[in-house]
Amino acid sequence: MHELSIATGIVDEIVRIAEENRAKRVLAANLRIGRGAGIVIDSLRFALEVVKTAHPVLTSTEMRIDEVPLIYRCNDCGREFEADDLYLPRCPMCGSYNLRLVSGEEMDIKDIEIEV
Amino acid sequence: MCDTCGCGEGRRRTIEVNQDILRANREIALDNRRHLDSTGTIAINLIGSPGSGKTTLLERTIERLGRRFRIGVLEGDIETEIDAERIRKKGAVAVQLTTGGACHLESSLIHRGLHELEGRLDGRRLDILFIENVGNLVCPSFFELGEHLRVVLVSVTEGADKPLKYPKAFRTSSVFVITKADLIPYTDFDIKKATEFALSINPSLETIVTSSRTGDGIDEWVDLLIKARKRTP
Ligand SMILES: Nc1nc2c(ncn2[C@@H]2O[C@H](COP(=O)(O)OP(=O)(O)O)[C@@H](O)[C@H]2O)c(=O)[nH]1
Ligand SMILES: [Mg+2]
Ligand SMILES: [Zn+2]
Repeated sequence: MHELSIATGIVDEIVRIAEENRAKRVLAANLRIGRGAGIVIDSLRFALEVVKTAHPVLTSTEMRIDEVPLIYRCNDCGREFEADDLYLPRCPMCGSYNLRLVSGEEMDIKDIEIEV
Repeated sequence: MCDTCGCGEGRRRTIEVNQDILRANREIALDNRRHLDSTGTIAINLIGSPGSGKTTLLERTIERLGRRFRIGVLEGDIETEIDAERIRKKGAVAVQLTTGGACHLESSLIHRGLHELEGRLDGRRLDILFIENVGNLVCPSFFELGEHLRVVLVSVTEGADKPLKYPKAFRTSSVFVITKADLIPYTDFDIKKATEFALSINPSLETIVTSSRTGDGIDEWVDLLIKARKRTP
């Protein structure tokens, strides 16, 4: 259950940024999580709701998660394609396994909306 | 918006952050790494399921290298000192890090462990530091600890499909150790398949097949460690 540790990290970071900007409260936090980051989104959502209760500044924060698709680029034929998961992806054009991940491993806090 | 009318609603602002959610862990990991570099210590993070043979491989390794190098071990476990005791019996310095429930080690715990090791070393420096992560193939792969080398271990009784099921552990590691090779006759483990699966996830992964029981492959493992040590500052 690394989602709990990750949620704690996210919440601590949001609280730090909120304090730095003298926020009265945080209205929303926008997160970007890649499909291939290895994070179970539902577990993360649940963990965020649990962890945020420890911080009054987050009482009414909406945690928004933007899921980033998993996109590979084929090193053999150059084609880019979207994959469903990380397991043995293969180029749909030429069948090659020689691929580079273009996106889908993101785990970012994009921005936060605060009331000052 | 409502700075002036007095309705009590504050002003809204959006703060651009664009930052990795594990930044805090990564920064401490970088500190650990700088510290290790300053003492000339190579750190190796071992990731594998419970019972995959991590501690036993360390025992064999210390038997082979313990006279040539000063070896320290940080033993990650949810509870108990058992693994640290096993390591101390082999003559290496060991500190048990109990996570109290967490299924992985984080860089801040390693930082504390490094201090505790130093307390036991009286100013002597370590040549090699092994970090035995908590038995788990998922969560540890998310957390950089400041290691120079990450090693993923799978025992032959776990099956050849593990690289496909735990891709992150394999993508973030540079060495794949297949353990308990002496048990292959009793399983349907296929070394070639396991290696292919691992390479499909991470083409630069180096695979070693070992048995801590018979000693097979331990030479190769020890050579790899010595080479990796030469490469680090
Ligand atoms: N047959 C065989 N058993 C092994 C080998 N390495 C470890 N074991 C056994 O596997 C069990 C778990 O090993 P341990 O090193 O404690 O695993 P860890 O949880 O990954 O640290 C112990 O009973 C070991 O004796 C091996 O190479 N061959
Ligand atoms: Mg162990
Ligand atoms: Zn292709």
